[in-house]
Amino acid sequence: MPVFTRTTKNLIIKIDEFFDDIDLGLLVFREGIKAYLDKDMDSFHRHLQKVDNLENNADRLQREIENEMITHSILPQHRSEVSTLIDELDEIIDALKSSLNEINIEMPDIPSSLNKNFISITETSINAAEELIPAARAYFIAPYTVREKLLKVYYFESETDKLSLSTKKIIFQEMDHLDLAHKAHLRYIIHHIENISDLAQKAADLLSGMAIKIVM
Amino acid sequence: MILFFLTSGLFLGWSLGANDASHIFGSAVGSKMVTFRKAAIIASAFFIVGAVVQGSGTSHTLDKLGAVNAIGGSFTLALAAAITIYMMTKFALPISTTQAIVGAIIGWNFFTGNHTDSKTLGKIVSAWIAGPVIGAAFAVLLYIIVKWFKKSARIHLIKFESYIRTGLILVGAFGAYSLGANNIANVMGVFVPAFHLNDLHLWIFTLSSSQQLFLIGGLACAAGILTYSWKVMNTIGNNILELSSEAALVVVLAQALVLFIFSSTLLSNLFIRIGLPPIPMVPVSSSQVIVGCILGIGLYKGARNINFRVLGEIGLGWIISPVASGLLTFILLFFMKNIFGINVGSKALESVSTSDLTTNMAMYGQPDVSGIIKYLLLGLLIFGTIGIIFYILLENKKRKEMQRSEEKFWKNMK
Repeated sequence: MPVFTRTTKNLIIKIDEFFDDIDLGLLVFREGIKAYLDKDMDSFHRHLQKVDNLENNADRLQREIENEMITHSILPQHRSEVSTLIDELDEIIDALKSSLNEINIEMPDIPSSLNKNFISITETSINAAEELIPAARAYFIAPYTVREKLLKVYYFESETDKLSLSTKKIIFQEMDHLDLAHKAHLRYIIHHIENISDLAQKAADLLSGMAIKIVM
Repeated sequence: MILFFLTSGLFLGWSLGANDASHIFGSAVGSKMVTFRKAAIIASAFFIVGAVVQGSGTSHTLDKLGAVNAIGGSFTLALAAAITIYMMTKFALPISTTQAIVGAIIGWNFFTGNHTDSKTLGKIVSAWIAGPVIGAAFAVLLYIIVKWFKKSARIHLIKFESYIRTGLILVGAFGAYSLGANNIANVMGVFVPAFHLNDLHLWIFTLSSSQQLFLIGGLACAAGILTYSWKVMNTIGNNILELSSEAALVVVLAQALVLFIFSSTLLSNLFIRIGLPPIPMVPVSSSQVIVGCILGIGLYKGARNINFRVLGEIGLGWIISPVASGLLTFILLFFMKNIFGINVGSKALESVSTSDLTTNMAMYGQPDVSGIIKYLLLGLLIFGTIGIIFYILLENKKRKEMQRSEEKFWKNMK
């Protein structure tokens, strides 16, 4: 019995640590984008490195969590759903890392007049993902509160869509001095940032179903 | 010869283990909270303990329904009940050994011209009805408590599941004990008046003649649990209603409580002491109780979750088993008496008491059997200890291999 309790405690700690990594990754990503827009490349690289480390740690934790759940037959009825949720959350931190890497490689030239728009898109997209984390934590402790927490995820996701749409409109309809390739590149970067809120929404859909199942 | 006559009882015990005992851990195994191996070992051990320690209470009730006064009769009706149960189990229909044995006793009463005590029969049948109803009430009440606790305690889901798992094992052990105490009379009750064995002194305790019979029956049940209960466990666990882990715990606990209530003389005496009517010591059908418990939770959650087709099949089994068992007993008794010339019993004199019967039938006793049981127990103890050590070593080896492969993986990743 003591061995089993230790395993349970370890698993809870690992799941919490995994959520912490995602939460921290979102914060660092936001700061990284801001640093890039401020042309502070040292800070940007530092943030990129930090996200990379967090993503590696999250991958390790994901594997350990899934292994422990299978080997010790923990949560047999919810195991596959919890694994999928962790997978979805891992995809978010993967997207954070790959977005920063894309920016680092492609070095998009973002006009300073669009800085505010880019910051707003990043803020709302990250907010959507950030709101997902307490909902995911609540699934394990107070599942009946999950759905109300998820409302914010859906709100920020739709806000991100609106902001990115209006920014794309500005780029393609009002900034005639930019060539088409430049416009397409900016659209591509916006798509990368708004993808984070889309992934958060996908995970929220899954979490919502999981919460209903466990409460019933 | 005497051991040959016991074989039908052992076969019946095996059927009980394969069928009724699987209800104890069916929900837990069906919801994948407890592995079949663990469940089977715990159920076997506690069933035997329950049968030996507390099994005598309910066997008196069956004696009153029909005291089979020849060992050939005991053999035949146990065989008929066992065949009925085996056939029903073969079709994965959870049926009741209680009903099969009661059907067989009534069949014997008909054949020998004995009067079936309608008062005792009424008591048994009313317990059959009360069992699932009380089970359903217990299940709903316990389910509400567990749900409330889960919501208000705000325990981490993983921790909660680990408590549920521990609870399932503990409650399952209690359930197996109660089942052994309540249902062993179905297996060995008909043999008790016909056998007289010497008391068996085992270091710190002594086993009486009936307790030795219950021990043999318990071992047969354990064999049934270990070898054939997997199929029925899945029927119970998955087909009627998809059970959550906490519902599985509640179902097992409610069932264990019902079985305990109907087999505890201590509780019955307590009722009398506080001025309430005594609880009848009746072997109740664990199949009916478990279905009652699951149905209770299903109704509480909304009837749409219940698979009524499976319920209908189970209900059909309840009617078929006593009727089929009674008819089969009648036919087998006819063959035993007229073709093999075996004494299957006769019309009992009203004035002859059960104790007189025991004395008269002591001639069938074979004191050497006690010696065999003693060596059998010693052998089981040795093999059990070796088995446990082997299991622990195997689990340890598996864990170490897993750890090594994990370390290797991360080393290669770096």
